[in-house]
Amino acid sequence: MTTTVLPNPSASGAHRPPLPVKMVIAGGFGVGKTTTVASISEIEPLTTEASITEVAAGVDDLTHTPHKTTTTVAMDFGCITLDPTLKLYLFGTPGQDRFGFMWDDLVAGALGGLVIVDTRRLDDCFAAVDYFENKGLPFAVGINVFDGNLDHDLDEVRWALDIPDSVPLVLFDARERGSVRDALLVVLELALERAES
Amino acid sequence: MNASDTGSDALTRPLRPYVMPESDDDPPRPGSAATTAEPPRRSLSVRPFLVTAGRVSDDTYLPLETQVVATPEGLADLPTLTFEQHDIIAACQDPLSLAELAARLHLHLNVVRVVAGDLRSANHLTVHAPQVGTANDLSVLRRVIDGLRAVPDSRGFKRDNNSPA
Repeated sequence: MTTTVLPNPSASGAHRPPLPVKMVIAGGFGVGKTTTVASISEIEPLTTEASITEVAAGVDDLTHTPHKTTTTVAMDFGCITLDPTLKLYLFGTPGQDRFGFMWDDLVAGALGGLVIVDTRRLDDCFAAVDYFENKGLPFAVGINVFDGNLDHDLDEVRWALDIPDSVPLVLFDARERGSVRDALLVVLELALERAES
Repeated sequence: MNASDTGSDALTRPLRPYVMPESDDDPPRPGSAATTAEPPRRSLSVRPFLVTAGRVSDDTYLPLETQVVATPEGLADLPTLTFEQHDIIAACQDPLSLAELAARLHLHLNVVRVVAGDLRSANHLTVHAPQVGTANDLSVLRRVIDGLRAVPDSRGFKRDNNSPA
């Protein structure tokens, strides 16, 4: 198995827990991260307080030294039991606008990420795209089509976001379980492709 | 809970055990706490990291999705445990992630990390941390993909019945 039981001599008799895996759902404020998690989670999305590191490269900071602070944020998540031995957790990143931020806690060990985009506010997702690129996390960009139609065509969005062809761009509906599932599968297939190479 | 037996006045309830160096079995009596500089205060006003005695992380860094399960010993000792330790053991009779524990008990994630580390040391809890490298494990990725493909959409269609994206 791929879990490590940390030293604990008398673990016998306890239930064998599933192998936990996770994916990260990112994007700007109000793009539908929690809706996405809720559509596919087997539990009502839960909220927990966690710490993130804000990197505030302030306008008044002439030295260009990033100023880091740790902030407590609320983070939504859900889960799906894929089989009795495997459980997928979906963590939504806390929405942040003005600051750079580090979700190392969330991203460490994640299988991949989905960056959700609202085409009316494309620039909200730049930070998430940059972050995943820097971390080398396999990710796809999902355009949440709230009302079934898209303001721009996909090539325009790809150009505007300046993402390479290697990053999949998918249309999906955050309210529809099958649509969320398929968007997550695009990310996982990319992750598998990368792990195989 | 033996805390209510020792204190005579409800307003000067003993502090949570982790705030003071005394052992769990013997909650300090407010009147006899001559060794502490802090005046007694009500537990509701205890700030999050006082329950961890100011520690902000355990020596082993545990990911959010780490599964924890109460041991038989932990369940047997449940009546003697107090506050967060008690709540955590009571909540994870079945496996639960650290993130779920934190959310259900309304505790900061890092508080749960630290207290869970203590409980593991005391043999009250088993901690199953995912191994480093799971994300690049081909068999794990294939199992997740297969598992997710089998998740039906809201009309009951699985991925394989659907047109490919």
